[in-house]
This record gives sequence, C-alpha cells and structure tokens, in this order.
Amino acid sequence: MTVVTDLAPATETEVAAILSECHARRRPVRILGGGTRVENRTLGEPLSLSRLSGVVTYSPGEMTLIARPGTPLPQILAMLAAENQTLAFEPPDMRAILGRSGTPTLGGMVAANAGGPRRILAGACRDHLLGVRFVDGQGRILKNGGRVMKNVTGLDLSKLLAGSHGTLGVLTEVALKTLPLSPARTTLAFPGVDDTTALRIFTAALSTPYDVSGAAHVGGTAYLRIEGLDGQRAYRRDRLLALLAEYRPEVVDDAPWDAIRDVTHFVGGGPLWRILCRPTDAPGLCAGLRAMGGDCSLDWGGGLIWYRGPGHPRALAPHATLIRRADAVGPAFPPLPGAVARIQDGLRRSFDPAGILNPGLMASDATGA
Amino acid sequence: MTIAMPAPDAQVIAQRPQIVAALRAVLPADAVIDDPHETRAYECDALTAYRCPPLAVVLPRTTAEVAAAMRVSHGLGVPVVPRGAGTSLAGGALPTADCVILGTMRLNAFLDIDLANRYVRVQSGVTNLSVSAELEPLGFFYAPDPSSQLACTIAGNIAMNSGGAHCLKYGVTTNNLLGATVVLTTGEIIELGGPEPGPAGLDLLGVLCGSEGQLGVVTEATLRILPRPEGARPVLIGFDSPEVAGECVANIIRSGVLPVAIEYMDEPCLRAVESFAKAGYPDCPAVLIVEVEGSKAEIDDQIARIRAIADALNPVEFRESRNADESLAIWKGRKSAFGAMGRLGDYICLDGTVPVGQLPHTLRRIGELSRQHGLEVANVFHAGDGNMHPLILFDANTPGDLARAEAFGADILRLCVEVGGCLTGEHGVGVEKRDLMGDQYDPDDLAIQMQVKDVFDPGWLLNPAKVFPLEASAAHRAHTAPLAAAE
Amino acid sequence: MQTTFTPEQLADPLTARSNEILRTCVHCGFCTATCPTYKVLGDELDSPRGRIYLIKDMLENARVPDDKTVTHIDRCLSCLSCMTTCPSGVHYMHLVDHAREYIEQNYRRPLPDRVLRWVLARILPYPGRFRLALLGAKLGRPFRRLIPDARLRAMLDMAPRDIPAPSRNDSPQVFAAQGPRRKRVALLTGCAQRALNTDINDATIRLLRRHGCEVVIPRGMGCCGALTHHMGRTGESHAFAAANIRALTAEIDGAGLDALVINTSGCGTTVKDYGHMFAGGPLEADAARVAALAKDITEVMADLGLTDATHAVPLRVGYHAACSLQHGQGIKATPKELLAAAGFTVLEPRDSHICCGSAGTYNLMQPAISAELKARKVATLEATSPQVISAGNIGCMMQIGSGTAVPVVHTVELLDWATGGPRPQALRHAA
Repeated sequence: MTVVTDLAPATETEVAAILSECHARRRPVRILGGGTRVENRTLGEPLSLSRLSGVVTYSPGEMTLIARPGTPLPQILAMLAAENQTLAFEPPDMRAILGRSGTPTLGGMVAANAGGPRRILAGACRDHLLGVRFVDGQGRILKNGGRVMKNVTGLDLSKLLAGSHGTLGVLTEVALKTLPLSPARTTLAFPGVDDTTALRIFTAALSTPYDVSGAAHVGGTAYLRIEGLDGQRAYRRDRLLALLAEYRPEVVDDAPWDAIRDVTHFVGGGPLWRILCRPTDAPGLCAGLRAMGGDCSLDWGGGLIWYRGPGHPRALAPHATLIRRADAVGPAFPPLPGAVARIQDGLRRSFDPAGILNPGLMASDATGA
Repeated sequence: MTIAMPAPDAQVIAQRPQIVAALRAVLPADAVIDDPHETRAYECDALTAYRCPPLAVVLPRTTAEVAAAMRVSHGLGVPVVPRGAGTSLAGGALPTADCVILGTMRLNAFLDIDLANRYVRVQSGVTNLSVSAELEPLGFFYAPDPSSQLACTIAGNIAMNSGGAHCLKYGVTTNNLLGATVVLTTGEIIELGGPEPGPAGLDLLGVLCGSEGQLGVVTEATLRILPRPEGARPVLIGFDSPEVAGECVANIIRSGVLPVAIEYMDEPCLRAVESFAKAGYPDCPAVLIVEVEGSKAEIDDQIARIRAIADALNPVEFRESRNADESLAIWKGRKSAFGAMGRLGDYICLDGTVPVGQLPHTLRRIGELSRQHGLEVANVFHAGDGNMHPLILFDANTPGDLARAEAFGADILRLCVEVGGCLTGEHGVGVEKRDLMGDQYDPDDLAIQMQVKDVFDPGWLLNPAKVFPLEASAAHRAHTAPLAAAE
Repeated sequence: MQTTFTPEQLADPLTARSNEILRTCVHCGFCTATCPTYKVLGDELDSPRGRIYLIKDMLENARVPDDKTVTHIDRCLSCLSCMTTCPSGVHYMHLVDHAREYIEQNYRRPLPDRVLRWVLARILPYPGRFRLALLGAKLGRPFRRLIPDARLRAMLDMAPRDIPAPSRNDSPQVFAAQGPRRKRVALLTGCAQRALNTDINDATIRLLRRHGCEVVIPRGMGCCGALTHHMGRTGESHAFAAANIRALTAEIDGAGLDALVINTSGCGTTVKDYGHMFAGGPLEADAARVAALAKDITEVMADLGLTDATHAVPLRVGYHAACSLQHGQGIKATPKELLAAAGFTVLEPRDSHICCGSAGTYNLMQPAISAELKARKVATLEATSPQVISAGNIGCMMQIGSGTAVPVVHTVELLDWATGGPRPQALRHAA
C-alpha cells in the first residue's frame, strides 16, 4: 500500500491513494481549497487541492466548462469573460468577512454551493453543476452526471456533493454550465427605505417579467439590478421606474453589487449570521434581530438576511447558520429534524464510513441556539 | 422483449388476500383495486412494450393515506411502485406481479398560492399544466413544461426530474422545486426544503428529484413560480439538411442570444404532426422552432439577431408566428409529436443527450445506423440543450421487430455516451435503459448510487427493477442486505 | 399498441375496425387529462386510456363482460373530449360504440337495470310517449321521497315544470323561404326535444326562412338513433337511422336538398356517422349521402351569413360548448362567432372542453357523476357572470338549467331574436 507522505495530491489517482490510506487508518483529513474559508482547525490533517488545478475543457458554443477543483476562480472568470460568458450564479468572495487570505477556488465554490445576488434569477451553484468526479471516504474514484445540460441518468449525486462542504468526498473535477454575460447592468437605488418598504419594492419588482437579477437592501438603501441586451435594459429600467415611482428610485451607474455579494458591509465586528427565510417574513425577522442589538441587510429579494451582532438569532429563525464566530472556528449549522438528520448521517456513513472527511463540519450545532 | 424482470416474490403473491385486506382496513373502499380485470389497466405506462399487472392498486387522497398504505406494504414486505399519470416513456411506473401500484392522481388539491413569495404548494397528483392554468389569471406560471404536461403529474415530474422545451432558459424540475413532503418506505413523513431558499444540511431534495421513485413518495410539493413574460414568439426556420440545422443551433447559442427554446423536427415527424396540429410547418428535411420572449421590441431585436445567424446558412424558409393562435398551433404540434407519431406506426422513443456541438455528427450517425438496422427513425428534440428524441418506428404485431428496434435504440444511446453525452436527458432510466447504465457508469459509480438508495429504502421495496441493472443490484443486495439485517 | 386478435376475429368488420383503432393508440395518456369522469373519479379505469384497455382485453379474449368492466364503460359519457385531445387520431367513438354493442349482446344486466334501459328505449325516442311520461312525472313529483332508486329520482327531477303543447311546426310539411330562395333544407325535428321544448324548432324554422331557406319537415323521420345507439341497442338504433335515411333519400332524389339541418348536436354527431354505421350494408351509399348533407344549424348559418342582426339587446352570453358539437363534430368557433356577429358579448367558461354531465341518458343512468359535473359546469359558467347561457343541445340546456337561476336558451333562439324573431321565452320575464 502507498505510504501517504504528501497531502497535496496532483492527480485524482493520488487523491484516491491518500484517502484509501486514511480510510484504512481512520485518519481524518481537512480538505483545503484556496484556504479562503474558516475551517474546523482542530480536526484532521490538511489535504490541499492546490495542485489539482487547471481547465480540462471549455466549449463556449456548448456553454460548458470542465475544470479541476484547485483552479483559482478569478482565472476561470477571466477566461469566461473573454468569451462573453460567466458563471451566472455569481459566486461570492468570502475572504473579507471571514478575515482570510488565499484565493477562492472552483472546488470550494461547489463544496459551499455558492450563490450571489443573482440567485433570485439564476439559482445557486447546484443549479449550474452538470457533473462531478470525486473520491469518496474509502478512496473510490467516482463520477456522477456529465457535461450535458440535461441529464437524468441515475441518481443526481452532484446535488448532494454541492454544498456538502467536503463531507461526502473530495472533488477532483467539476463540470459547470456557463451563460452569456450581460453586456452591462443598470441599477435602481431607493435610498432611505426601511425593511418593510424594501420588501414591498422587491415583491413588486420580482412580480414583473423584467428578469430583475438583484434585489438587496443594505445600509438603508434598496437596490434592484437589471441586465440584458442594451435595448432590453433600457426598456426594463423605464418600466420599473414607472412601476415604482412612489418609492423615488434613482438610476445609478456604479452600484455596489460586488460588495453586496461579498457582504463587505459586515467585515469585522463580531458574530455574523446567515438566515434564509420566506421573503415576506424578512421585515419581521429584521425587526426582531435589530432589537437584539445588531444590524441586518437583505439580499435575494428578502430571502437572505445577514445579521451581525449579539444575541441568539435561532430563537427567531431556527434556520440561522453562524458563519463567523468570535473564536474563528468553522460555521455552525442549524439542527435538523430527526428523520432528516438520520438520513443525512446515513448518507455520510455511506460516502465516508470511517468518518475521515472534514469531520465535525456540517454537523448540527446548537451554538447560538 | 429483451429486458428481463425479476421473478415475483412467491411469498408476497401467496399473501395477496391478507395484503389486500390490510390495505382495505386503512384506506377508503374505493381506494383499493384488486380485481384482475381492473388491475390490468395499470399494467404499463406509455412504454407499452413491457407489461405486468400489479398485485393491487391503491389510490390515496391524502399524505396520511399514502403513509398508511406504505406502512402496510412495509410491514408485509410488499414492493410499491409509485405512479403519477402513467405517461413515462421509459417504463418508470412498470409494475411487478408482486407489487402494489400507488397512484397519486387523487392527490389533486392546490394547497397554497403565495404570490408575494412566489411559490405554490400543491398535492403531487395535480397535472403540470393545471399548475400554470391555475396561475394564469394571476400573471404567473410554472416553468418546466414536458411535452406530456397536459396529463403528467408533478409527482411524476419530480420523480423523473422532467424537463421540457423551455428549460433552455428556465431549467428543469430540480431548478424549480423548492420543497416536498415525502413519505418514506416505512410510512414516516418528512419535509424537505420549503419556501425558504436553500437547504439546511445536505441537499436531500436535490437527490430525491429525479430518483425515479427509488427513495420515497412525494405527496406535496412547493414549486417556484415566475411572472409570465410579456410576450413570446416562435420562429420556424427550415433547412435542407439536419447538419446545417444543427450548425444553426450552435451558432445561435454562441452568439449570446439565449432563446427560451430551440426545438428540432425532421421531415417524417413534421408530416405526422402537421396532420394533427395543422400548424403549417415548412415542408423541408429539418425545421427549427426558436422561441424568444419579452416585450414586442425585445422580441423583434432578438429575432433580428437570430435571423442574421440563420440567413448566413441559407435557410429554405424563415417564418415568424404572426399571432397567438399560430404560436399555439406551432407548440401544440411540437408537444404532441410523440403521440402523433402513432399515426405512422409503433415506435420507441429515446432520450439521449449530446453536447450541442456534436448534434450534426450524431444526426449523421443515427442516419447511418437507421440504414444498417433497416428501421426508419424520426427525430424531434430539444436542440438547444442537445436533448435528442429519436423515434424508432417498428411494427409491434410483427414478431422480432421490437427486439430489432431495441437493438437500434441501444446503439443510438451508446453513441450519445460515446460523444460525451448521456443515456437520458429527461425521461429517466426506468426499465427501458436500466441495462445500459453500465455503458455510462462504472460499477463503483452505480454502487454509490445504490448505497444512497440503501439509506432511504433499506429493504429495496420502492419501484423495484428500475434504474439499476438487475445483476448489479442483486450483487449489491446480496452484499448489503445481510449487513442491514444484522444491524 | 400491440394487439392479439386472431385472423378469424379480424374477419368480423367491427372487430377489424376496433383493431385498427387500437393499433393507433400509443398509450400516451394525454386523453386522461381531458376526460370528465377521470377528473371526478381519479382512476385510470374511468379514463379513455383505461377503458380502451378494458375493451381491448374484453374483445381480444372474446370474454363475457364482467361487472367491473361494464361499470367503467357505462361511466363513459361518450363526450369524445378524448378524441379532440388524442394526437394519434384514435377513433374512440367507434371503439366504445362497439364495446357497448358487445356488452349489450353478451352481458346480462341486473333486473332493475334492464327494466330501466328498456323503459328509456321505449319512451325517449318517441315524442308522444315521452310527453305523456313527462306529464306522469309531474304528477309523481310529490312522491319523490318514496322512490328508492336514485336514477328514477333523477328522472323525476329532470322533468320540466312546464311541458309545452306539441308544436304543429313539427309535423311533415314545407315552409316557404322568405324572399328569394337560397337553399332548400330539411330539418331533423328530433324526438325528446320536441316534447321538452318546442321553441327551438320554431326558432330554427323562422331563422332559416328569414335567411332564404325553404324548410322541409320530411315525412317518416323520427329519432336519429343516438339514444339507443349509446345503450348498445344497435338493432333499434339502426332501425331508427334506416327510417331517416329512407325518408331523406326520398327528398334528396325528389325536390333535392342542400342540407339536413340539425339543431340538437347530439343527434348531429350520430347522423354524421351514418356512413360508418351502415358500412358494408345495402344502405351504405344512401347513408353516406345523408351523412354528408348533415349540418349543425350553426354551420348552415355561418354559410348563409347573418342578415340584419340589429334587433337583440346586447346581453352577456355565457356560451356552453356542447360536447357533441365541439368534440363530436369539431365545431368550436362558429357558434361563438355567430353570437358575436349577432351583437352579443360572448363569455367562455374555464374548462369549456369538459362535459356538463348531460350526455344523452347519462344524467339518468349515472346521477352521481352527472350531478358533480353539472355543479362544476354551472360554477364555471356563473363565474363569467352571464345574463343568459346559450347551448346548442337540448340535453345540456336541461342539465345546466336545472342547476342555475340564469336563463338557458338555445343558440338559435338568440340568433332568431337578433335577426327579428321574438324574444326567447326563457328571457321574457327577465326583461
């Protein structure tokens, strides 16, 4: 058997060898992409994917990208932009809020099922993931899905892998759908509105067929983003201006969509929570959260609340996930109902019988409850 | 018939009266069917080449009734085959002689329409089209639109992760499914997802969607709904050859215009469809239906761009729909294409997907294979995403013809995999493509999928003999079942 | 679909035709979605596809029909919605007619069933007898609660409160055209309709004459045969049809006919199928000629064009599409276009393709399903807030009329009114 000496594999076969060894010895690993996210530092030996990098295929005419997990995300986005394409789900860069350096990678993006403001229109990473290759906790080299847009051949394990934070396997190759890049964007800003008004604006705008691709509320200003071909954008802008005139919209050129995506308004300053909710529940939740003494912002048309501040948000929103905590340990996920937790545990045991992949991550954690 | 089904469990068959009595005890009188004359009508779905009457049929009306039926079958070790409207072209709801068919058609209530949060909650037996019909006066729609949308149920759509013509823009079922109430094989009821975006924990809803009834029975679903576009207009582009049409598709996609649908029909298909829909399709070897949406100006702009791309390839005809009736007729024809082919004879309908750039090559090879096998083939498919639907014509009353058609079909599907595609884009594996799974996946790839099934359905009672090749599942079960029993 | 008939079975022309139909079906299931009984009952067996399967099994095995099979086929309305929906062109009507005949010949119904069917077949097609029965029903209504059978109660409920005196217009005669003669047409005066509502034929005759038609009521015409045909009593239905074919052939060969006008669409569907009914027999050619001349009144009026349609009040008209008109004869837009041309605002209910539950004798034989369909139809019609409901079939008019306070009239009554005829009876007190 291969003796594991180097935990920075350069090939899929090497990943398999390492994991099969770790499985046999029940030696946990901590999977590292670009090191942009906070990990549970106490557990497992670092397994770096930085050398498992590079684009396998990119076919703009087929809107398909296949690349290895260690590939830096900025490199990918630049390559796509050269063909007027992009990853439509707008992966955020979490370095600033997590106080990390390093470079975001494709693998980390998939493992976290990343999704930015455009989620309301385009979904999250999982909605663009065509297929994966990965190595499971026993060192088996596995694949699921493929490289085509529509594929229902067998169970869709790619969805499970997306957002599994490395607990089900180590990604070795991912295939993603690419989409045309909007030539430009237009933003409507609504300064000085509260959460309730912001939600009214979002509901009205998202009930129109104008493909609003961003609806956020940060620092007392609500923003709507419009994309598309030039004529389309102008038309949609005018219609929305008319529809929302009572809220005094302003057309702005340099709207802070990257900052909204990366939540830079909440850099530093204590615990940060991510709360997913029904948009119409957002104003009420925000009122409760603000009463705890912190500050809130809204994205995804009200479906995503960021809360920075003290207190125990799970008392209001059981789904709250603690993204950044004072002790700089990894995220704390909300507890799951019994039968669902049992299935999730069962799946983790199937993919990783010895429990060596990012142990402790994704486990339900009552912190903050 | 070349696809084998496992021998029914003699113990289960012997217990038939007790099973039916136990089901009758927990369900309303009209919800249990066991008369052999009646169960026969449930012996197949839209894949009629394979047939087997079930032991019994249950037609529950509520989640509680589904759970009760599942508890009975779990307790007595009876396999359960969930069935929506029975429109599967892959034999996804093919019964076994020892199974209970669990029909979802009576689960047909609308539970909640929430426009502010843009979702609907329905019982899973509502038909796909009825969701959009219900929403139409409110200005919204449900995007996935499989061709059978008139009849097929949301339950079946979730089981097969159904697509449709417009998924080029809007995605397939999995991209539009927010949550589900699921009855597990034990009768336990769980909630996955919901109106809040994103799952808590692993994306169980993501793996449930498209699992072909292997993991649980969906009784209620929360669906994402979208505002109706201001307008939509299809254009018909006729070409002299399939290859040039394929090239046109690739060029449109590369151009950055993203139509909501790009559909392809060839000459034999057009002939059959025209006699039903009378849409006035161009008379030429290959026709594309390209649909764009938006305001009138937006539509005009996009069509002008598409026209420029098409004109460079010398189309035989380029025609815009002039009004809503014409658009309806164009789509009615396209969506009825499979059924309309029944006018020409029996057929099997394939569903392989290929990378869009491989379309011209694949169409050429299918033509060659057609000549080799001596069977006619008609092509109608979702060109924008490479999801092909070759229809192989044969005569079901001629002995041996089906086997020839199946051999031809298998060759086409292997070709799809060979050029980088897959066996099935939206119809599902079912029983039809079960034995070809080894052509796309290695044994370990299948093993991990079967392990996922083990977690949800340890006794393998749900929808038996589908998706996984029989030898593979038998070997897997021989290895895992004793372990599970020991636990 | 694959079929397994033997060459001997296929020697029978009816079986050969059924085989041909079954071979076209690809079992796609589209028909289930638009089948009224499937919508109500949610069982494949009560859908066209399920029935096709039951029929196939019964005919292929030449077996004695079992109770369950008969129940499911009896529940079919023969509304033919499935035929409109079917992309493969499965001729369900001929298949289910064959099945009904097969059942009638090979299945012994329980006694009450047999009596009921016998009575209906002896009464409904004969206007005189039916009129007497209606008067009897009126007398019997106070004793309704004592009647054990739901079907008999349904019959009592169906009987109208006002039973009109026979109209002299329905006797054999010739009505001259007003102005220059543009067409010579025969009118099928029908059977049950004549006893239930004499206004429809009166209005039809006025309307046709006003538009330059000479209208003939031929001697020797009676019921078209549809009522008994749908019970599978082919012998009786063919006798009715044959009498009509002879009567009309005499007219065609005599003074000539441009059309046979039918204002009860249920009859129209059957008369248009006479060619098929008599295929291979001595009446084949005459039957085909009659079938080719058969036209719904709205087809004829569309051909003639409405003249001087300025007399009516522009009411909101809820248009109910009779199944025999929209599915059986494929006439969908014409009646609505005529009503609009006559100055009315035409409103169409949701699910207009779904049957109201009348379906010939269906409301008598299957009262529960029929009542549910009636309730759904009335609700969707009333949702359009109509001032009057119009339909092209007496059965639908009776069915819907018994469930709503909105007046129900025949489309021809509105067209007659709009072109100078009297205000329809049902609208007189509403004025």
